[in-house]
Amino acid sequence: MTCPRCEGSVLDLNDVWFQYGRRKVLEGVSLEVPAGSFAALIGPNGAGKSTVLRLLLGILKPKKGTVSVFGRPPGKHGQPIGYVPQGINLPRGFPLSVEDVVLMGRYGTIGPVRRATRDDRGRVAEALDQVRMAHLSNRRFEDLSGGQQQRVLIARALVSDPCLLILDEPTSGLDPAARARFYGQVCDLQRAQGLTLFCASHDVEDVAQHAQTLILLDHTVRASGPPQDVLKSRAVSEVYQFPPPHVHRGEHASETSHQPEDSPVEGGHP
Amino acid sequence: MMEFVSFGFIQRALLTGFLLGATCAVLGVFVVLKRMAFIGVGISHAALGGVALGLVLGFPPLAAAGVFSVGVAWVIGWITRKGEVSEDTAIGIFFPTAMALGVALISVSQTYRQGLMGYLFGDILSVGPGDLWGLLLLTGFSLGWLALLFKEFLFLGVDEEAAKAAGLPAAFLNYLLLSILAVTIVAAMKLVGIVLVSAFLVIPAATGQALSSSVRGMVVISVVSALLSVGAGLWLSWLWNLPSGASVVLFSAALFFASYLLGTVRSRG
Repeated sequence: MTCPRCEGSVLDLNDVWFQYGRRKVLEGVSLEVPAGSFAALIGPNGAGKSTVLRLLLGILKPKKGTVSVFGRPPGKHGQPIGYVPQGINLPRGFPLSVEDVVLMGRYGTIGPVRRATRDDRGRVAEALDQVRMAHLSNRRFEDLSGGQQQRVLIARALVSDPCLLILDEPTSGLDPAARARFYGQVCDLQRAQGLTLFCASHDVEDVAQHAQTLILLDHTVRASGPPQDVLKSRAVSEVYQFPPPHVHRGEHASETSHQPEDSPVEGGHP
Repeated sequence: MMEFVSFGFIQRALLTGFLLGATCAVLGVFVVLKRMAFIGVGISHAALGGVALGLVLGFPPLAAAGVFSVGVAWVIGWITRKGEVSEDTAIGIFFPTAMALGVALISVSQTYRQGLMGYLFGDILSVGPGDLWGLLLLTGFSLGWLALLFKEFLFLGVDEEAAKAAGLPAAFLNYLLLSILAVTIVAAMKLVGIVLVSAFLVIPAATGQALSSSVRGMVVISVVSALLSVGAGLWLSWLWNLPSGASVVLFSAALFFASYLLGTVRSRG
């Protein structure tokens, strides 16, 4: 199923160049992600993965080339995009509740000056329910485990009714079991809602098990296609300087996507 | 107590203190969230340069300090956003420079040194009916913006990238928050003085944080703690003949330590 509001290509980068000062980060990057698919951007540290995400969110502008999201330049108000960061760094003891965090996903829709309505709070409850965190809505965000915090951040992204979820290293700091549960749950949501997923990750093996397309980035796109093909390519060993990981697609996903996750403590670090 | 509140100058001091205390307390939530305590110290010291410029050039010192502090805060914000110098370094360069400018200008004349003491340590008991209107305007500016854009500032403080991705004008909001901080600090100089104003921005909010389990609760407790500090601090200062600014800050700190102990006991229980 594909989101009824989306068709064709959702993300488009065409010959994009970007540099921070004199340091070139992206050199002629072109990529395209069709609606309803799960594409994962992999690559070593400093390859430009986060820069690509920031360009797609409209936080950065390319020095050359074009970036479009839903056929328009990114960063335009009202684009149905949900963003899931690596985490949020609150000062210790700051009393932000899980519900407060998720409600922030509605702020773009609510607009300035106006307050959240009962409908907005209803959407927050629904989104928390989707990620099985409704029972912890009044808990302080900082008291949750790393895996639970990530699920809350997904709920924050979902609450704005997105067609596209952009995830930036969403499982960094999580243990293998929590990572598998995370991707299983994200894929369940993708199938149920027809979302397009675009994820930057270091966890090559994990994303290769779940994504339909892997894009190997090292300042430029070195390889792209189905995970098995990309992982077999010479570019992987050249970029990572080690043999490509062996991936069994599907086995992990079916084992992990429906595990109960209601325990207040799970893998990962808050 | 009745005698204390029967004096006109005490009534003006209480009114001014309550307004400034409430403004500092609400703003303090963002100072704590965005870890802006150092920038608060910096702006308050830079304000001395503005006061000195006003005194020497014949402009109203508070207005001069306001314009000067907002300008310096914007320059710091701009340099930091360019990303070539860290915020700490930029503050460490600009604010002592602005303060040194103030000290150099003040040293030109002995006459100005007397007036300067009031700005350094606060002299809320000397607030006249004319000052009250100016302070009402400044606190109205700050409280008005904070009330209108509270949720946007909160989102920006929690996760700036996600706020940008949601379409919020992050750069505008950051400059606006810096301006509110500068204006509030300049207004609060009259209450607790340049030296102590940054403490008044942090301590009530920290008290609120220690005792509450939600952001709304933190705002309410911060404001109540600031109002209590102003009322009790001024009363103690009148009773024991203490400097008013120091008395307010000391009472505020006592409330924080009590709330911290209470919070610790509660979390163990």
